[in-house]
Amino acid sequence: MTESAGAKAQAGGGIASQWRRLTAVQRRRAILTVVSLLLLAFPLIDRNGGDIDAAANACAFATLALGLNIVVGYAGLLDLGYAAFFAIGAYTYGALASWQVQPLWSDFWTPLQWLGLVDRFHADGVPDVVHFTFSFWIGMPVAAVVAAFFGVLFGAPTLRLRGDYLAIVTLGFGEIVPIVARNWPTVTNGAIGLNGVAPPKLFGYSFGVDSEPFYYLGLLMIAAMILISLRLQNSRIGRAWMAIREDEIAASAMGINLVSLKLLAFGIGAAFGGMTGAFYVSKLQTATPDMFMFPVSVMILVMIVLGGMGSVYGVVLAAIILQLLQSWFLQDLTGWIHALGKWVDSAWLQRVDLVQSIELIFGIILVTMMLFRRQGLIPATRATPALTLDQQTAHASRGGFATPIRGIQPTPAEPKQAMIEVRNLTRRYGGIVAVKDLNIVVESNSIVALIGPNGSGKSTTFNLITGMDEPSSGQVFLLGQDITGLKAHAITERGIARTFQNLRLFSNMTVLENVLVAMHSRTTTGPLAATLSLPRSRAEEREAQEHAFEIIGAFGNRLLPRANQLVKELSYANRRRVEIARALASRPKVLLLDEPTAGMNPVETLELSDQMRSLRQMGLTIFLIEHKLNVVNDIADKIIVLDHGEKIAEGTAEQVHSNPLVLEAYLGRKASHA
Amino acid sequence: MMIRINRRQLMMTTVGALALSTLAISTGFAPVQADEKLVTIGIELPLTGADADSATRIKNGAIMAIEEANSKGGVGGYKLAVTVLDSGTSTAGQYDPAQAATNAKKFVADPSVVAIVGPEMSGEGKAMTPILSAANLATVTPSSTNPDITDPKFAGQYKPNGKAIYFRTVTTDAFQGPNMANYMRDTLKVKSVYILDDSGAYGVGISNAFEGQAKKIGMTVMGHDQLDPKEADYTTVITKIKGLNPDAVYYGGVAQAGVKVAKQLHEIFPSVIKAGGDGMVDGGLLSAVGFPAIEGWYCTQASPHVMDDASMTDWVARYTKEFKMTPSDYAITAYDAVQVIADSIKRVSAGGQPVNRDTVRDAIQSANINTLQGPVSFDENGDIVSKVISVFEITHDPKSADDDVQHQYKYIGVAPESPTS
Amino acid sequence: MTYSDVLLQQVINGVSLGAMYSLLALGFTMVYGIIELINFAHFNVFMVGAFFSMWILKLTGLAGEKVILTGLPLAGVLLLALVCVMLFCGVLGVVIERTVLRPLRNVPGTAAMITTIGVSYILFNVILLSQGAAAVNFPNPMPKVQWNVTVGTVLKLREVLLWTIALLLMLGLHFFVRRTRMGKAMQATAQDQEAARMMGIEVDSVVMTTFFLGSALAGAAGLVFGLYYNFASYVIGYTAGLRAFTAAVLGGIGSIPGAMLGGVIIGLIESLGGQLIATRWTDVIIFSILVIVLVFRPTGLFGRMMIRKS
Repeated sequence: MTESAGAKAQAGGGIASQWRRLTAVQRRRAILTVVSLLLLAFPLIDRNGGDIDAAANACAFATLALGLNIVVGYAGLLDLGYAAFFAIGAYTYGALASWQVQPLWSDFWTPLQWLGLVDRFHADGVPDVVHFTFSFWIGMPVAAVVAAFFGVLFGAPTLRLRGDYLAIVTLGFGEIVPIVARNWPTVTNGAIGLNGVAPPKLFGYSFGVDSEPFYYLGLLMIAAMILISLRLQNSRIGRAWMAIREDEIAASAMGINLVSLKLLAFGIGAAFGGMTGAFYVSKLQTATPDMFMFPVSVMILVMIVLGGMGSVYGVVLAAIILQLLQSWFLQDLTGWIHALGKWVDSAWLQRVDLVQSIELIFGIILVTMMLFRRQGLIPATRATPALTLDQQTAHASRGGFATPIRGIQPTPAEPKQAMIEVRNLTRRYGGIVAVKDLNIVVESNSIVALIGPNGSGKSTTFNLITGMDEPSSGQVFLLGQDITGLKAHAITERGIARTFQNLRLFSNMTVLENVLVAMHSRTTTGPLAATLSLPRSRAEEREAQEHAFEIIGAFGNRLLPRANQLVKELSYANRRRVEIARALASRPKVLLLDEPTAGMNPVETLELSDQMRSLRQMGLTIFLIEHKLNVVNDIADKIIVLDHGEKIAEGTAEQVHSNPLVLEAYLGRKASHA
Repeated sequence: MMIRINRRQLMMTTVGALALSTLAISTGFAPVQADEKLVTIGIELPLTGADADSATRIKNGAIMAIEEANSKGGVGGYKLAVTVLDSGTSTAGQYDPAQAATNAKKFVADPSVVAIVGPEMSGEGKAMTPILSAANLATVTPSSTNPDITDPKFAGQYKPNGKAIYFRTVTTDAFQGPNMANYMRDTLKVKSVYILDDSGAYGVGISNAFEGQAKKIGMTVMGHDQLDPKEADYTTVITKIKGLNPDAVYYGGVAQAGVKVAKQLHEIFPSVIKAGGDGMVDGGLLSAVGFPAIEGWYCTQASPHVMDDASMTDWVARYTKEFKMTPSDYAITAYDAVQVIADSIKRVSAGGQPVNRDTVRDAIQSANINTLQGPVSFDENGDIVSKVISVFEITHDPKSADDDVQHQYKYIGVAPESPTS
Repeated sequence: MTYSDVLLQQVINGVSLGAMYSLLALGFTMVYGIIELINFAHFNVFMVGAFFSMWILKLTGLAGEKVILTGLPLAGVLLLALVCVMLFCGVLGVVIERTVLRPLRNVPGTAAMITTIGVSYILFNVILLSQGAAAVNFPNPMPKVQWNVTVGTVLKLREVLLWTIALLLMLGLHFFVRRTRMGKAMQATAQDQEAARMMGIEVDSVVMTTFFLGSALAGAAGLVFGLYYNFASYVIGYTAGLRAFTAAVLGGIGSIPGAMLGGVIIGLIESLGGQLIATRWTDVIIFSILVIVLVFRPTGLFGRMMIRKS
């Protein structure tokens, strides 16, 4: 008895230990394979047409959730009216594949007829009309494109709004689209609903009312969208979106064009929604405006919140769970409660219908997930293994960066050409003048320090130079070119990089990802190239990673072992270093550092000073805000002093220190002058 | 030998259990091996959401008929089983065409289902008919009145296999709207009318049909506005109507907007003649609006009114006793629908043929029986042959409860199929 | 009725509608001004208030239009209902704030807003599941008094009542915010939470008071709605909510006079738009206004002056 039990334990232990030996990636592959096989075999196991139908519908909602995941999960744009794109796609396909829209026949339509897209319909006594007969395989992409177009149309004026305002505006669009559909009967047949939308045909075989082909098509759509989402997520575009989600301002300082990337996310999300709309309406063969109202948008949002924003598998899992809940578990649970009611003879129990309370459950899910598990069922970020003692030890090294850093090189410039020149720069906020008539020259390949008491306008000056703020008057030049008023990302593209006084890292991204984001303006992989995983983009990604590791490695043991750790887990000093590493990644010509040594002890401060010096040696220009006067004295070629927004002194360390205005500004007047 | 469970094993076990239970539940949906002498009648209604009240009354009417047939020993030697499926979802707040389509497929997948009673709403019907036609499974609807579904013009969409499968024991809005227009002009002497609808599929359909006929017979249609049923305030549009001063207002739509229309018309423009379709026949509407505000409304039903007949008293009493609610007129047509199906099964069985969907459908097509509402037979499109639209006027009966549909709607007569001139 | 009579009547309708929206927008804009949170649940607190006040009135024996009161009994009953519903909804608001929103107060992003969507859904569905989808009759104890402004235009007692209650509540709020200590604390917190905390203001209790007041106002709006339209149903929060939200944004979110003015403007747009264009486009017009205001002038008419004197 014991022996066989022992043998069983061995066998069970065998599988368990085999499982343990697999890596995380292999385990995920195994689970995915099993799940995929189950999903593929599902219609063969359960032959009930109704169940397969419900499953096909679930596929549609899963793809909608994946589409919204790109908008909300990746780019952080809360869209409460996503059903609008679902509707637009559905009605577009409906118009192209039914008898609804019947313009009068003219020769214009003949080439389309030749292509098989339209038909000429003749009825006695009335002029001939056009019958749209777009094939599903053409109509669906068209629906996606039309939806994407509306996504861009809605997004262009509104995407610069703040998160909660954007949500309300998208809610508004989500309301307007069904109303327009209801009030435009010529195209949509209004509230009565479309009649006779054609189902897809494959090799002459029409899907008709069979659910199986739709189910498999739905699975294919999910698989395709998972692939696209993952490819985008791990690409330059995905990183840029996540940077936007984390900190818009820092993202634009990293060279990311906020407007175009947000529109891209919105448009791609809309395209996915439109594509699903075509699928859904071709299956149902009808569409009414009531099918696309606010509760549908909320349901998709619930899927994302439940699954985990930005988590592709989480979202699909959540879609499956909610569908199972609606179609099976709640019905079964209701049945059990009714049986219980009969048993205890309670009329109320026998009348309970849990299926009706699915919306209530949605509300409860939203509240509980936000309160207790904001990252969702399957969080988008993964846990990192702990560091060994070796990896944790770091000693301050002197002498700066040992090896040259890719991209940091001397800038060929005319003699006497300043790297940065600021002329008569002024910034007013209502009655307050933050910066007044500032004239600054930062020579190439030098280190210039900007000092002054608190509130003297140093950070404002930085903001004005880097495009985070717009000057009231005055100009900023980079290597002789006027860059006044340019947006932040354009300025980064031209070669100015910066760090922030209060640290603006992308907290939920790793050190490596933070550094990679900064290369946005130096790389070119677009969404299409990333999705198709073209060799060119793979090579670019490889090169970018190498470059990133080079930069991270330049900081030695401080950052290198932590390359895959989330930045928010790092120490304050290390986070400062990441900011600098990130700034270096954009191959700048000039680096603006805002209090880089804040929070560092004297040894670390010396280390960083040395590193700055070696950067200058490599050819970089550094413009530096610092409070630690010993650092300033040590490395600055020129010091500029600001007070109350005006330049009060300029020169070498000795010159500045003996300047009475400077002393007054820092130390105050003598009592006798009061 | 201790059993140590670690997290991975626990997770795998859970996943496995879930998968197994999913399979188990799904096989639970696998068709039950039908007893040789048992057939199933399906009932498909929006039992969740805004139409739940009327749908429940309809369901009860059908169930009563099935129970009675079984208590008499079945039909043609067959006992009748019932499967009820709900097309309403709380996400839609009412019927969901996608859910109706799924339900149709569920019925199709169950070989013991030989006929269906339902749906209530035409929006469900549009989604269901292509599926039912492909399977040649007949449904008899007690209340779906949108004419498109049985219109030969749309035959390619709604009965692609050529045979009618959508039968009605109620007539359509092709008659309900226009006949009311005739009645209003001839009997109520209405010369000008303003039309409102509730933006829903039924409301738009019936009010458009009304409008077409009204224009044809020379009534002045002063305007046709659409209302948002979720909106609380219709004073704007009613004030506008009052400014135009029509003789009558016609409202096509269901109770959700109807309640507010009635209340606010009474507040602002009480002198106008008020009329509506069968959407205004609803107990909930009566109690929500209350008397005297709801008094005087003219409503139609797309079936003959028999509930007040002496012969019906017993039926009404039995219904009220069993289901603890009063029947609606469409509960009667649902009862009739079951009677049609039962009679068809009996004839098929008597003819020595197997009782399946095809034979039952053919038998329904050729049905000609006496039901509660009178003789019922169908034309080649599936529509009921007799096109009777009954007109009611809401007249307060203080002896009965406010929401008593049977007693607060006074039967006036039949709306004429054609105008007198 | 002449055409000018019709227009005048529509103006009266619009102002009445507007008073309703203002009342609803007030509580909403207050909360936003203090903690910059879009509270979706606000509009369903309003809906719950309508049902609750209906039950209170029914408890006093009123039913439908069967019982008409005048003078002191009428005032007494209405006052009782008003106080009860304001207390109930105020407490409901505080419960929501403490259990669901306070833990999320420092979480960046839209987490808190999403949670209010969840709470809104919960309130909506609890009422739906327990009361059913059909509208219910709200007791109407007011006598049917009306005055003729011109030959064809009427002004009804219930409209006067609505305006009076709305105005009194708004004045009361205004007084509270400007004159009382707590009101000043609210103004301070609205401008800078950190600084207010450093001045010794207990921000938590300020937020709680704001929610109490805002939700109480929503409850009062629910009572007023019921008295005005004589029905209650689970969807009334939805449309009224979106219109009131637009009113708040139009007036300048965070501004009390802005909410008042915005409400009246939206009400007039609704009534005159319905008269001159068609009611089916009202929603599109109002949403377009929302989008245009947010895109081109997000501070609205009165700017984000928080709860400051006008």
